Amino acid sequence: MKDRAIYLDMELCVGCGACAVACMDQNDIYPEKDQPAFRRIYRVEQGEFPDASIQYISVACMHCEDSPCLVGCPTGAITKDECTGAVIVNKELCIGCHSCALACPFGGPRYDQDEKMHKCNLCTDRVEAGLEPACVRVCPMGALTFESANKVQGMKESKFVGNMVKRFGHRLAYMHFGGVGFSEK
Amino acid sequence: MKDVKKLSRERMLVSGTGIEIRKSICTICDPQTQCGLDLHVKDGKIVKVEGSKEHPYSVGTLCSKGAATRQYIYSEDRLKTPLKRTGPRGSGKFEPISWDEALDTIAVKFNEIKLQNGPESVIFFSGYTKYFRPYLKRLAHSFGSPNYLTESSTCHRATAMAQKLTFGQPGGPDLKNTRCLLVWSANPFYTNPGNARAILKGRERGMKLIVVDPRETPTTALADIHLPVRPGTDGALALSMANVIIHEKLYDRDFVGNHSYGFEDYSEYVQHFTPEKGEELTGVPADKITQAARMYASIKPAAIMPSASPVVHHTNGVQNYRAVFDLIGLTGNYDIIGGNFVVPASFLHAPGLILTREHEFIQTRPWSEMAPRVGADRFPVWVDVLDEEAQAMHLPFQIRSGEPYPLKALIGFGMNYRMWPDSKGLLESVEKLDFFVNVDIFMTDTCKSADIVLPACTSVERSELRCYPMGYIIFTQPAIPPLYESRSDVEIIYELAGRLGLDDPLLKAGYEASVDWILAPSGISVAELKKYPGGMFVPNPIKLPEKKYLKAGFKTPSGRMEFKSKVLERYAGRPGFEALPVYTPPKHSKESTPELAQDYPFILNTGSRLPMFVHTRTYRLSWTNSLRPNHPAADINPADAARLGIQQDEAVRISTPKDAIVVKANLTQMVQPGVVHMYHGHSEADVNMLFEGDYLDPLSGYPGFKSALCRIEKV
Repeated sequence: MKDRAIYLDMELCVGCGACAVACMDQNDIYPEKDQPAFRRIYRVEQGEFPDASIQYISVACMHCEDSPCLVGCPTGAITKDECTGAVIVNKELCIGCHSCALACPFGGPRYDQDEKMHKCNLCTDRVEAGLEPACVRVCPMGALTFESANKVQGMKESKFVGNMVKRFGHRLAYMHFGGVGFSEK
Repeated sequence: MKDVKKLSRERMLVSGTGIEIRKSICTICDPQTQCGLDLHVKDGKIVKVEGSKEHPYSVGTLCSKGAATRQYIYSEDRLKTPLKRTGPRGSGKFEPISWDEALDTIAVKFNEIKLQNGPESVIFFSGYTKYFRPYLKRLAHSFGSPNYLTESSTCHRATAMAQKLTFGQPGGPDLKNTRCLLVWSANPFYTNPGNARAILKGRERGMKLIVVDPRETPTTALADIHLPVRPGTDGALALSMANVIIHEKLYDRDFVGNHSYGFEDYSEYVQHFTPEKGEELTGVPADKITQAARMYASIKPAAIMPSASPVVHHTNGVQNYRAVFDLIGLTGNYDIIGGNFVVPASFLHAPGLILTREHEFIQTRPWSEMAPRVGADRFPVWVDVLDEEAQAMHLPFQIRSGEPYPLKALIGFGMNYRMWPDSKGLLESVEKLDFFVNVDIFMTDTCKSADIVLPACTSVERSELRCYPMGYIIFTQPAIPPLYESRSDVEIIYELAGRLGLDDPLLKAGYEASVDWILAPSGISVAELKKYPGGMFVPNPIKLPEKKYLKAGFKTPSGRMEFKSKVLERYAGRPGFEALPVYTPPKHSKESTPELAQDYPFILNTGSRLPMFVHTRTYRLSWTNSLRPNHPAADINPADAARLGIQQDEAVRISTPKDAIVVKANLTQMVQPGVVHMYHGHSEADVNMLFEGDYLDPLSGYPGFKSALCRIEKV
């Protein structure tokens, strides 16, 4: 379980925000009470209409293997969940010093009305119970997945091979990628 | 850490939590989607909402609107009891009354008006959602009123009009089998995730994709060819494509020769629309038009995916869409697998691969036995080809004129006055009625003007029948009882029918008996449906052959597909009613009104979808609002903004000769330069106020919401 993480396929993300809402439903987050969302959607635009590239990215805590926030926390409020590998905050120990926010390269940590750090917990309880995180469960495009690194790399490879096949035809695929197994979707 | 764990455990279906799953569907939006819901219920309360994995349309997923279901259901703005107005109209001053008092008051008033002015003076209006529409229409007609009006007067009916004028019967895109999909101004990634997934699957199997859209969207991003049309010029684009197809002899000679009417005149008219002319009129480069025409016409089968309303939200909308739909006939893609395949609707405009008696149920007496519908004189083609309802856009005009007969009372179900152009004017007209009732889930601005307000419940608190195109059917059961004193719209309709003393056997027999009656030809009963709370596949799906017109002909006056409409030939000489799909620029545009365009140089395009909103239905929810924190905001191209010195989130005034609103600027390349896009229905910035009430397509009566002229300036 520990090696699984949430992956975003940026080719599939359309910025609909279902993940952010499902997360708020799961975690009882109410923006009107100044409770920041765990998951946020960004739109990145490059170029000009009609040839602009518009990319959507759904971002939350990355649950880094080597978490700078955890190292930076002076009270030991941030720990790694043994079962899931999730980076977890113990609000009782959090003193709201923002050290974690300074350390995090992704801007993950936010603070609630009590000045306690507030971020994605990888739906640890759901994961322990054998369920997917709420954001993954809802995603209408299948852009978010909860998989092991190897599985995701395999999926990426399949997609790449699939694209090559589409582009150059089957002959090339057999010649060069004959050994790679990829499933017909 | 403990509290986090405790909290989320309460949201999960694991042993020991006491949670049980109840099935329902989401009807926050209603474009034939209705995703399946797994409602996690604990102690009578919904604690978490997930998509139903076994639902064949939504396969376990939800969009941002559906994911917000829990906040929608438990909103503090829910109406709790029936209300009677105590202050002046619009003041929002009400006192609670009992259901008996409310329904008796309405019944007495309606029957009084019926006696004094005739039943046609009472209007029955349906906004969102749509599940109760068959029963409401039956109520109206059994009462004797032809005036069943709906939100479809600005939604899908005009598209249906264009399809009916061309083919007699629409054919939907066969997404599963098509090899080339031409999406005409739709973006299912925001509105219909099932269709979006079908497009992704199509791409995986090598399907070509052409997308016509004035915006850049996730759909255009996937396209082989994106045709970024200037709003309101779709007809010119379609005629240009036809020009290429005819000129290069890529058209289907068999279909055109043996099954169409008016091809010669059409072909001659199309000669004017060379790709270069097309570029001039639409802003789409000529070579892209040529490429798209060749791709669409040379790959078989190819299908066109229309949208419900964007193309018909122009003053030239129906003619534009006729020109688009002509391409289906021109290329012989009508009613073939992988093309625009004709599947008759089973219920509520959705094909369900079963036969029903919906039409017989809703039309309890023929139109000829009732007074003319609202708008019948002004929009005669509406009456010629559309069987469902009256044209609601004419409502304020008839209230004001009292011609051909006075209108006295209105009961709305989910009516939102901001749907109309000149929305303020519409509300003032409605306030002139003797009696106005609105049924809604929430205390809306429209409710504030009503004499009586009735609280309706949400989809998860009631029963409704829905069909799905893959031959799936569901009759939902309430996951929780209606909150407060709210009731289902259908219950209100049947209660009212009783108190009105209508001699209507099915309205007397009740809701479920009516559903059984409607479903009788399918062999499916309510009792059986109740055994499958999450829905079921229909036992004997009807099998449909290709090219049904070979036997049955086309349901048009000529019995053929009509490039030149025989219905419209009757109106020769009337502007906008041309029998050929003649292209006229939008009523307010650089081409039609150059002087106006000098003062108002931007094209105002309203209502194109954003992923978190469907009309105003999720505006009150902080979860969906948080996804667009700067709303109400107008989308403006960064190049235009730079020229006008406007920065992101700065206040801008959007004005037309009619009125002005102030909103924030949202800079994005989604919108083309020269166009301002504004989402509709905001209480604090209602963009529909900027339109004149008669800014309508003369053919359909549809407002030109997607191309008017406006000015923007920094405040």
